[in-house]
Amino acid sequence: MARAAVLGRLIGRLAWRTATVREVVAESEHAVTLVLDVTDWPGHRAGQHVDVRLTADDGYQAERSYSISSAPEADAIAITVERIEDGEVSPYFTDVIRPGDQFELRGPVGGHFTWSVSDGGPILLVGGGSGFAPLMAMLRHRAAQDSDVEVHALVSARTDADALYRDELAALGPAEGLHVAWTFTRGGPPGWTGYTRRVDAAMIAEVGPAPARAPRCFVCGPTPFVEWVTGLLVDAGHDPQHIHAERFGPTGGRA
Amino acid sequence: MSGEQRQLDGNGVAALLEELLGADATGLVRVCAGCGQRHALGAHRAYRGAGWVLRCPGCADVAVVIGVAEERLTLQTRGTFAIPR
Repeated sequence: MARAAVLGRLIGRLAWRTATVREVVAESEHAVTLVLDVTDWPGHRAGQHVDVRLTADDGYQAERSYSISSAPEADAIAITVERIEDGEVSPYFTDVIRPGDQFELRGPVGGHFTWSVSDGGPILLVGGGSGFAPLMAMLRHRAAQDSDVEVHALVSARTDADALYRDELAALGPAEGLHVAWTFTRGGPPGWTGYTRRVDAAMIAEVGPAPARAPRCFVCGPTPFVEWVTGLLVDAGHDPQHIHAERFGPTGGRA
Repeated sequence: MSGEQRQLDGNGVAALLEELLGADATGLVRVCAGCGQRHALGAHRAYRGAGWVLRCPGCADVAVVIGVAEERLTLQTRGTFAIPR
């Protein structure tokens, strides 16, 4: 009976649910955020993701994982999708889908790459491209909790036009304890005086809490970006056990 | 591969692992049978083919093989998993 109860909870948690698009928000030239109403959504922790399933008229199905970018406190969940030119799923989400459209989703899943204000700080968040999505959920959660936990965020984007959440990040609070740095690897907007290069050791040293303070580090982005940044963190003296990474597949060379 | 954005580590296989093991397994620490390093399953490299293979990030030793068929999943593991009680 206990086993049946456990299985019941498990199957309930991992059941495919219907997601209905509430809103489509253009985030950049290549990315949109889908705000979704999900039937019987069980709630999530910042950093978790969902599996999404699309079914074509002929029955062909495609599944993908997307990080949740909204705070657990929000009344709908949001995923941010970057269009991959030869992608099977992402062009549908970025170019075709409209409010009211539905698809299947299950989750939230993943507990290794999560953070909540009760975990404390300091923490370092490093995101490459759309890899900032789960880190944005952490910052939105921090804001919703009105927490002043010390957070250092480093966001790498190719250009200002590719930057996600830039206005919101500039306005996010509480300002106390929140440090956000950008690097635009293909050049900043007019008048930009910040970083315009690939993340490197000097940037990590300037942006992040010192390794001696033992920050938990969350790194998310395309695989080469994550490998590079986690290597820099280890070389800088951060404890590998404190480094949490989440990798995306190839992004058409646009990373 | 289509080049579609998808997770390529154990975190991306979280849903399948949860289906197989009954709880989130991305934080489970595996002691590698090859190199002896300890890494969370979420930090393992994930390779997709006819199912999924998770490999140790330290030495690429095969840690978990998941077969995905229409009616069932299959699971093979190697190494030692520390499961909190």
